[in-house]
Amino acid sequence: MSKVEKNNRITTSSTAEYFAKNLQQVGFSSQTKAVLTTLKEAVDNALDACEEHGILPDVSVFIEKVGSGSLKNTDQIRIRVEDNGPGIDCEDIPKVFGEYLASSKFGRGRCSRGQQGIGISAATTWAQLTSAVGARVITKTKTMRKALNCLVEVDIKNNQGVFKEKQGMDWDRPHGTSVSFLVDGRLQLNGDAGLLNYLNGTALVNPHLKLSYQIPGIEPQLMNRVTQHIPKIPEATAPHPHTMKLGEFIAHSHLFGRVRVDNWLKKGFSRIHEGVFRELVETGIPKALFEKSVDALKDAEFKDLFSKLQHLKLMAPSTQSVMSIGEESFAKSIQRLGALDFFSVVSRKPVICDFKPVQVEVAVARFQEKALESDSSVQILRFANRVPLQFDKASCAIVHAIESVNWRAYGIAQPKNGIPQGPYIIAVSVVSPFIKFKNASKETIDASDELVEEIRRALIQAGQKLARYLRREVKANELEEKIRHIEQFCPILVDALCRITEAGEDQRKRAQEGIVKLLGRDAHTTQQELVHADAVLKKETQKEEDQKGKRKQDGKK
Amino acid sequence: MAKSDQSILKLSKELCNRLLSDLERAKRPVLYATKCSLDNSNYDHRLGYLTPGDKKVATELNVSSVKKMSRAIFLLEVLLRNIDTGAVNTKRELYYISKGAMKHDPSLKPLDFGDQDESDEILDFICEMLECYREELNCFANDRGGQTYSQQLVVTETLPDGDQAVVDLSRLGTTPFQPKNRPQNLKLSAREKIDFGLIVESEGTANTLVANGFTKRHRCILMGAQGVPSNAVRGWCKLIQDQLSVPLFFFGDLDAYTMQNIFRTLKAGSAASLIRNSDFSAPDVRFLGVLPEDIKKYDLNDYPVKENDAQEVRALKKATDALKNDPFFQDQRNQGLNAILKWLLSNKRRCEQQAYFSVDPRDPTMPEKIIIEKIKRGNYV
Repeated sequence: MSKVEKNNRITTSSTAEYFAKNLQQVGFSSQTKAVLTTLKEAVDNALDACEEHGILPDVSVFIEKVGSGSLKNTDQIRIRVEDNGPGIDCEDIPKVFGEYLASSKFGRGRCSRGQQGIGISAATTWAQLTSAVGARVITKTKTMRKALNCLVEVDIKNNQGVFKEKQGMDWDRPHGTSVSFLVDGRLQLNGDAGLLNYLNGTALVNPHLKLSYQIPGIEPQLMNRVTQHIPKIPEATAPHPHTMKLGEFIAHSHLFGRVRVDNWLKKGFSRIHEGVFRELVETGIPKALFEKSVDALKDAEFKDLFSKLQHLKLMAPSTQSVMSIGEESFAKSIQRLGALDFFSVVSRKPVICDFKPVQVEVAVARFQEKALESDSSVQILRFANRVPLQFDKASCAIVHAIESVNWRAYGIAQPKNGIPQGPYIIAVSVVSPFIKFKNASKETIDASDELVEEIRRALIQAGQKLARYLRREVKANELEEKIRHIEQFCPILVDALCRITEAGEDQRKRAQEGIVKLLGRDAHTTQQELVHADAVLKKETQKEEDQKGKRKQDGKK
Repeated sequence: MAKSDQSILKLSKELCNRLLSDLERAKRPVLYATKCSLDNSNYDHRLGYLTPGDKKVATELNVSSVKKMSRAIFLLEVLLRNIDTGAVNTKRELYYISKGAMKHDPSLKPLDFGDQDESDEILDFICEMLECYREELNCFANDRGGQTYSQQLVVTETLPDGDQAVVDLSRLGTTPFQPKNRPQNLKLSAREKIDFGLIVESEGTANTLVANGFTKRHRCILMGAQGVPSNAVRGWCKLIQDQLSVPLFFFGDLDAYTMQNIFRTLKAGSAASLIRNSDFSAPDVRFLGVLPEDIKKYDLNDYPVKENDAQEVRALKKATDALKNDPFFQDQRNQGLNAILKWLLSNKRRCEQQAYFSVDPRDPTMPEKIIIEKIKRGNYV
């Protein structure tokens, strides 16, 4: 073989090799982002694990600067995340922390934070590449007498997790996991991409989370949970034929082996019933095909069946697989972020967007301590499957939807087609088993027209609710201003007129009474408007309370 | 027409009496101010300047307007006191006088002016209500522009104490005479016949012409306008026109800004100063140049309007509006000026007054020769 031929030989590389060379694709594109992504992956895993096992999560985050990093202008930072989750079985630890695409959730169609099994392995790789040490894991399950303390690394060549150290230890808790990474990076606390934004955002959309954190530069914080209700993870539903491609359709059949085609279609897919078979027959599919065994179908038959199914009008997929935060919990949770002037929360019913079930929830709030920042843009908190999105804001469906709403109609300042301004926070959570992210690092949601419209509707509802408070506030301010004007300016005007015209005391008194009477009428009109605004607010609030009560009762039944 | 101190006092008292009487009857008083804008401007060539139409801006007393009304009456009281004592002030000084009054009497604090723009706005409101100009309320602006040279002109000024000061401009050497914005106190005479008056847009160019002997060789009055003419320059030109009856010529750049903002203001006043145009415009003044035909005739350096120059672009846009809405440019008698505006809009070129210096770079008197030639041949609009 010649030298040239040798160089041109096609080789295959492992998944781990690919990601080790392309860590920027999964959130490790800068020193500050590396720290945030590592923290995010560890916290997301902890929350997913707790929810899967019905445990109310207690998560503690410890971040400390250990020294200078090996890379230029970096610090060596230790990120440790502890949870009270179920713990990890010994044999699963290398898969979880050291193997790419090893996941218990991949393609299951559930609203979990993690999906593919890339993130935490990427964090281990980053630690390994920058500090030459992998992930330090301490874990204990209910059945383990002693906790397992181990060091896991990624065998990059073979995409496998390997134990570097492994020993038993006593641990003061019945079950849980502590994972720690030593990485090169830089700490960024504030701003859209800051650690605090991530931690506060996570607390906001996880009302059942008790979160404590210790980060250099700020006092240790503890955020208690505001609900004892563990979100019920809905069962995954079977895939809908319209959400598949031909290859997936055929591959799906292989999971079922030797069953009749009609059984495969009924059990393997949602929204397929006897009526659909009749319609398929009408379109030219032979009846006998449904009685055949799936493994006996030829590719041409699969193709024909698939394309006929695509042209049929099927019921939209079920929305039962989405999990929401809930208006009540969201409302309680947002108050954890600071003292509020007022807020409005909207939890939309799950709907189908782009043939995928989606639920949108929105909270708009005004914080008391931010009341002076009126000319800067509102703070936008974006969430996808209850994970904060902190990058690439401009192209996100949520931001597109916010910009498309006319906030001026609700009393909030907004430059033309821009992000509204004022001391407000707009939090939007999108939950779906199949969120269309724009990239592998899950930083921004693809802005499809249907999804943008659904988010926009939720925002409009929240804006309308908020407007009732703002309208009342405007009227109250107007009244106060008018009363102040009457008290301040009437005597000044009348006295000056009397001096110029050399009018007597009687005239002055009469004029003073006259002007107060005149302007009092204006103030009275505003007072009536305020009373009306008050009544509207009370009525709407009562209506909402009644609806909530009714929903609760329906739930109990 | 200028109002006397007495008539201002009378008008003000009548206004205040009406307000007070309305208040006594709990009736909403309304203040009417002349609307000073182009849509309320009339032009009659027999008068020669823009005059106000019938439109008034009504301010009714309510909770929202009580602050503005209180401020207006407060400032009016200060101005009436000035008229009474003969004290004069600038707008800036009035702003500080108001500040001082509020400091000494805390009950006036709610009237406090945030900046001078706020007190200026109230002052303009008072002038529009009383239909007078602020000089009549003893409020004067800093005198800008109008440096005047002549070997023939003699100015006699009546001072506030009744004394008279006589200024013979031929005795001032290189020092110019600078007019004040109270033209009614000046009396003009000529030691010998004056052939014409020349108003040059650039004060620098006016000084150059004088230094090169313009006023020695010609029996004339030569003044620099220094851009948009101030009230002093406008009143001074009106005075020369009325008292000496000499032909007046304006020499400036050929561009939309000069035509509308400088020459039109000098000749017919402006829409913003409708009330004062009768005493502050010189309708007889003619546009000597630069004329569009001069560019070819004298091979002058001209250049295109810069697309990125906001002021020039704005002036061209304003010129389009002027052709449609400005009664001055629409009047039949001003079709020559109208044609220049159209030429500027269609050609999008401009030429500066100093371009005459390019005709013969070795002859410093060449601009003077061209100016005289143009006057003699009647080459003006």
